[in-house]
Amino acid sequence: MSALLRSKVAWVAAAAILAAAVLPLGVSAYVLGVLTTAYYFGVFSMAWDLLFGFAGEVNFGPTFLIGLGAYTAAILDNRGLPIPLCVLAAALAAVIGGMLLAMPALRLRGPYFGLVTLVAVLLLQNAIVIFAGVTGGEIGMTVPNVLSIDARVNYWFALAFMVVCGVLLFGLSRSAIGLILQASGQDPIEAAALGFNVVKHKIVAFAISAIFSGIAGALLVLYMGAASVGTIVDIAIGVQIIISAVLGGRRTIIGAALGAVLLLVAAEWLRPLGQLNTLVVSAFALAVILFFPDGLLGYVLRPKEQG
Amino acid sequence: MTALQILIDGFVISSLYALAAVGFTLMFGVSGVLNLAHGAIMVVAALVGWWAAGQLGLGVYAGTAIGILAGLLAAYLTYFIVVRPIQRSRKIPREETEIFVLTGTLLWGIMLQGGLAYLFSDNPITMRPLIGGITTIGGVRVPWNEIMIAAVSWVVIGLLWLLINRTPAGKAMLAASMNPRGLTLLGFDLSRIYLLVWTIYGVLAGTAGVLLASFLGVSTANTGQLTASAFSIVVVGGLGSVSGSLVAAFIVGYLETATAYLVNPTLRPIPALVLLVLVVYFRPQGLLGRR
Amino acid sequence: MTALSLGAAAPAAEEPIKIGVIGEESAVAGASITKAAQMAADDINAHGGVNGRNVEVVIYDDHSSASDAVRAFQRAVNEDKVSAVVGSYISEVALALEPWSARLHMPFITPGAASTEISRQVHDNYDQYKYTFHGWLTSAFIAQSVCDFQHDMLVGPYHVKSTVVVSEDAAWTKPLDDRYLDCLPKAGIKVLDHVRFNPDTTDFTPIFNKIEGEHPDIITTGISHVGVQPTVQWHDQHVPIAMAGQSSQATTSTFWKDTNGAAEGVITATAAAPGVALGPTTIAFTNAYIKRFGDSPSYDGYSTYDEIHVIADAIKRAGGTDPDKVVAEMEKTDYQGTLGRIKFYGKNDQYTHAIEYGPGLVTGCFIQWQNGKQVTIWPHDKANGKIEFPSFITSPR
Repeated sequence: MSALLRSKVAWVAAAAILAAAVLPLGVSAYVLGVLTTAYYFGVFSMAWDLLFGFAGEVNFGPTFLIGLGAYTAAILDNRGLPIPLCVLAAALAAVIGGMLLAMPALRLRGPYFGLVTLVAVLLLQNAIVIFAGVTGGEIGMTVPNVLSIDARVNYWFALAFMVVCGVLLFGLSRSAIGLILQASGQDPIEAAALGFNVVKHKIVAFAISAIFSGIAGALLVLYMGAASVGTIVDIAIGVQIIISAVLGGRRTIIGAALGAVLLLVAAEWLRPLGQLNTLVVSAFALAVILFFPDGLLGYVLRPKEQG
Repeated sequence: MTALQILIDGFVISSLYALAAVGFTLMFGVSGVLNLAHGAIMVVAALVGWWAAGQLGLGVYAGTAIGILAGLLAAYLTYFIVVRPIQRSRKIPREETEIFVLTGTLLWGIMLQGGLAYLFSDNPITMRPLIGGITTIGGVRVPWNEIMIAAVSWVVIGLLWLLINRTPAGKAMLAASMNPRGLTLLGFDLSRIYLLVWTIYGVLAGTAGVLLASFLGVSTANTGQLTASAFSIVVVGGLGSVSGSLVAAFIVGYLETATAYLVNPTLRPIPALVLLVLVVYFRPQGLLGRR
Repeated sequence: MTALSLGAAAPAAEEPIKIGVIGEESAVAGASITKAAQMAADDINAHGGVNGRNVEVVIYDDHSSASDAVRAFQRAVNEDKVSAVVGSYISEVALALEPWSARLHMPFITPGAASTEISRQVHDNYDQYKYTFHGWLTSAFIAQSVCDFQHDMLVGPYHVKSTVVVSEDAAWTKPLDDRYLDCLPKAGIKVLDHVRFNPDTTDFTPIFNKIEGEHPDIITTGISHVGVQPTVQWHDQHVPIAMAGQSSQATTSTFWKDTNGAAEGVITATAAAPGVALGPTTIAFTNAYIKRFGDSPSYDGYSTYDEIHVIADAIKRAGGTDPDKVVAEMEKTDYQGTLGRIKFYGKNDQYTHAIEYGPGLVTGCFIQWQNGKQVTIWPHDKANGKIEFPSFITSPR
């Protein structure tokens, strides 16, 4: 039964990706630009969902990992390093930072883990502002050597990246590791009783989340051409990521990407409303959370719970 | 001289921090709700108060009262529109209620902020002082308004203490914070207790908002920072512990003031941040919190 | 190709020329940008448009977010097909838009940001970034104007000899403070101390106490993120030393209301103010703006109004909207507007494509809040009032 479901979903997903791939042939660079950013946010949200949905850990500061990756790439890019090296360094920085954060934090339960992640973002923000000589401070810094200045190239790159990440993360979530993570998240005592090293698996989940977040963060600033606290580290960005994942459906991975794209596209579509479009989008998201807590894809893709 | 200045200045700012934090921690302690729209509710009170006092010309006392009422109203809206539906929803599994409340109040806070910015712009505003003029204490110049703010904060906190410890309703709240299920078994109506705590919260947040506007000034751009600052203090003191929040507010307030006076105004928020990190890593339940 | 224009009628037989305007509608300063742009377009069209074509402004709100602004920029260029973009008073936003202006070859001018980074990039990578113009004074020249003001109006008449520089610890104030520390001594004022405070500071008592202890004759400010708070606290605590410098919030028309009158006596640099004829169109524009919108324009309203005209003139001279030609014509700008005489620094000057500073060009003006009004006190020949300090001020006297 679930195999049939998966294949139906797989076909729909494939069709969607194909449609997305041929989109540049018919739409303006503006639409492509919005979607490019949205795809990177999709990866942010998917990485978050892996941690929350499966490891059961609410990460209030996904932008800590994203920011580490983004700023590492931006600083090295300014020093003239080639882009692949910048991205690699970004991934490394995010993982190292993530481990420094996760290892003490994962011993904490309940809201306390979330608090640690929030504090991490505040620390990063303050560090960026204090070391303004290197980071450009609150105004931000330019990233001179970008991926490409062609809208289509950037779009296809982001799409490909999101699809690859989606496949990897989704596959992970359905794998043995994913099941163990899910068990650890939903009933850690029982999981431990069954012999699984809960903390070790959570640390692995955190590392994976960190790698994807860090690389996506680097690629985003390499697309935007600029990095600043307001665009990459601010708690508001974290809020956007969390809401996207909840909107799309927790523990579905793909739902998170869908939620992210939807949120950004909706905000842009409502741009003619001017000042109030954020309010309208937030109201819509709130309504979904209140009336459809499983999110848009939750009903379709949620692995069925036993008993 | 500097010591006296630090003492007085730190006292006023700490009292204000305490008022802003106490409501937040009470809300968590009694009903388990981490209300991330906290900053927005305080800003509602401040802006409505300023508008009523100045633009409607009602004067500062009426304006303050109207501001506090607006804060109370915003709190009620938060409860009835966002928090209660989530708490009662059958579609949300029990262990995930917290994350939904967090996300929901976050979104609601963003909506409030957007609405306020639309109506009032994001310009910072201040409330006219309730008492004008200055006085000298031991050679240090202090505006009367600051003394009054500290006094009002403490009166409110004192009233809260009396309420919790000396009235039956307050004791029911205390019990609810320790064992909600036990309370229902005894026949208490939890929803009435929750309503009571939201009422108290609304008044606390409203008063804090209006006083903040009077001493420091407030704008819709501050909303997130206000929530974060109350949150930090509550974490340091211990989630759910009112006395913990009071102690933490004073520690943080004095740390910040002393840093600004003695070290460097650039580094003002750093020691409190370091304290937060230390607490979260080594004593995550906070100074006076229970696990 | 172009239709004959008959007097004031605007036949617009061809498509209008579109200019994208990105502002922050929830901020008083940001809202001024879009309003002033609309007025400029209406005025241009009433006088025949540009070579017979109407000017149409397309307005975007960026919610004070740099990433939102980038998307608005992309929409303006790729969807709404604008020929130029005027945008934002926030340096972070302007710096985020600059690479896009380069990438999409779109002339872009910021009417309100102050960061010296904007023009530095044009200078360092001219061929790539030449499409960006900095339509307001850079931090360095804002500081210079403060020094010039203090030299003209305070050193002589008030015997001001010393100051403490107070600014928020932000990236835009670094070049500002560097210039202060350089030009204040040259103006005859000794800098006793240089205090930088965290931009999230809400309690300024320690700072005012420290400054008072050093007994300067005047406080020189560099603040933008804060303004209402320190001013109210300065007033409530009766700090006996006057403040003069750059206080962005003090330039807005709502500052008096926001501070409940604590603004009395505060001196700040700004672009222009009601009742001062810095240029041939200043007073007419200010009055028309007040009539239409109920409040006087923020500092970037003046620059936006001028810069829409500058762009329109450049397009006119270029004979079309080809970006390279428009940029070449913009560089030749010599326009008398509300700010004064607008010219841009050239390729070989330090602040390429920023507005030229100096007497006879653009200097901004200094205003002091008195009884709810902005009274212009400098430049001396354009002043419409005298300096007056509140009673609790003992220095300067």
